[in-house]
Amino acid sequence: MTSVVTANDLRSGAAVYLSQGGVWVADLDRASVATSAADRQQLEALALAAVERNEVTAVYAFDVAIVDGKPTPTSVRERIRSAHAPTF
Amino acid sequence: MYRYDEFDHGFVAERSRQFRDQVERRLAGALTEEQFKPLRLQNGLYLQLHAYMLRVAIPYGVLSARQLRKLAFIARKWDRNFGHFTTRQNIQFNWIKLEDAPDILNALAEVEMHAIQTSGNCIRNVTADPYAGVAIDEIEDPRIWAEVLRQWSTIHPEFTFLPRKFKFAVTGAAEDRAAILFHDVGLKIVKGVNGATGFRVYAGGGQGRTPYVAQELAPFVPTARILSYLEALMRVYNLHGRRDNIYKARIKILVNALGIDEFRTQVEAEWERLDKSAIDLPAAEFERIAAYFQPKHLPPHPHKDPHIEQRRSIDLSFARWLRTNVLPHRAPGYAIVNISFKEPGKVPGDATAEQMEQVATLAERYGHDEIRVTYQQNLVLPTIAIADLSRVYDGLVQAGLHTANTELITDIIACPGLDYCNLANARSIGIAQEIAKRFAEPEAAEAIGPLRLNISGCINACGHHHAGNIGILGVDKKGTEHYQITLGGSPKDDAAIGDIVGPSFPAQDVPGAVEVIIATYLKLRRDPSETFVALYRRLGKTPFREALYGLDRATAADLSEDANV
Repeated sequence: MTSVVTANDLRSGAAVYLSQGGVWVADLDRASVATSAADRQQLEALALAAVERNEVTAVYAFDVAIVDGKPTPTSVRERIRSAHAPTF
Repeated sequence: MYRYDEFDHGFVAERSRQFRDQVERRLAGALTEEQFKPLRLQNGLYLQLHAYMLRVAIPYGVLSARQLRKLAFIARKWDRNFGHFTTRQNIQFNWIKLEDAPDILNALAEVEMHAIQTSGNCIRNVTADPYAGVAIDEIEDPRIWAEVLRQWSTIHPEFTFLPRKFKFAVTGAAEDRAAILFHDVGLKIVKGVNGATGFRVYAGGGQGRTPYVAQELAPFVPTARILSYLEALMRVYNLHGRRDNIYKARIKILVNALGIDEFRTQVEAEWERLDKSAIDLPAAEFERIAAYFQPKHLPPHPHKDPHIEQRRSIDLSFARWLRTNVLPHRAPGYAIVNISFKEPGKVPGDATAEQMEQVATLAERYGHDEIRVTYQQNLVLPTIAIADLSRVYDGLVQAGLHTANTELITDIIACPGLDYCNLANARSIGIAQEIAKRFAEPEAAEAIGPLRLNISGCINACGHHHAGNIGILGVDKKGTEHYQITLGGSPKDDAAIGDIVGPSFPAQDVPGAVEVIIATYLKLRRDPSETFVALYRRLGKTPFREALYGLDRATAADLSEDANV
């Protein structure tokens, strides 16, 4: 299963995604996608380093599907988080 | 209302200063998240899906206009121009930045407010009858004792790290408007044999994963002895409440595991051992606190005002609002005004900064500077002269707050759900909006009569679904949002936990299911005086199951409650 690594920005609390070069971005489309367990572990290691640097908190990985070449959450929860807004 | 003394001001200011230092250390990396999390939670700051959420305490739901204006200021400056009134008579701000939180606490401290004990395994904000001090059926004003409990429980050295959170509710009236039987401890002021007042104490109520209606623990504890009695009760819970399993840590589990009689025996034995004189409130201190809640001097006015009666006869919307949202006051010529934050299609309990300011203005101009928050996520102007009702209504119209639906089907209680909450399994707000739209026609809602419809986005039950006449619980069913419907719950004196009616529904089918339930009720009720919950108790769930799932399936095994989720 493909996955991406997310967290909350420490200062704003906003949902952010780990992108290329260990940069945290708000746009899920730009997240680095892990396609193997090893990839995922590598991303998680980068994320934990960012926790140590006090950039983010509450790190975890979640599953995505690739739709039109873009990572797309498979759960409602992650769809809502990635929209950065409630759905009503 | 109660005003801070020098100690209170100093204490809140010091907590605010400490939290600023804690936030600075967190941002600088001197504190890890593991170290910081309990500190932020002790100041009401949660991390939710999109941002930090700050839950501000509104002790027993009582606000002044100045305080409500400050909440509006916070909404405008640090949030997205709104706040959300909660089912604990508090307010939450959903879009807070960590670095702004210390400034917000300072702003709150300026108006004698804070966010202490709005999270954590401590005694949370004490709730009370929103009509306290003005209700016609009141024995004694519960705000005095709610304030006593607030002071007793705030940073109580023994009860700051309990097995789990702990919630008190107090009423001083004949009718329970504070849902006391769904609290860890519910207190009801009653008269004793010689006319003295005391408390009937209920314990072990609660919702969540394992709902229970509270049981009577003591029929009468003299008011002067209540603090030592509660201290004994809390000690028994603190000692024996389970700390090994978060799902079994609330007092309701302990009370039901021991049985109410054994729990009572242990509380009374502990009470016997306590040095009561060191704990109970001295009479002089009670009088000091009670002085803040003295009844206002209200010049008597006529029961009927000719201008109000004239408008009532020609303005149908105003007449409906008078019928549904305005209640009798204990003083002649005055009324209690319920302000609905449940306009169909809007978010239940959400208030914009402008709406808060308008309510503050009306409270200052016509309402003796008093505002209450209800656990149904609405506001109340508890003392309005009948002659001013027309002006108050017009002021509410300007703010879009004139919806006439208090205690009707569109007065929906809903938690923030999966749109905001880290714990939720499913969305609540969208479901509430869609249901409210189906019953938005005011005549239709009024014809249905009194009905509580409550929605929770997870089993933690912040939306009080167990206590709804119609309860809706969001569940995760193989990755999709489904909703379990319960019927027959009640938060009042006839407290009951709703029965699961059958298998859950996907989101898009929930409003239609509620329409079927209501149509069934309207078809079967004896007459309009038979409320939904009364009919449910007469007929049970069978007719509703037949209507929802079909006659053939209503008794089939695949409708077993276990198959729901």
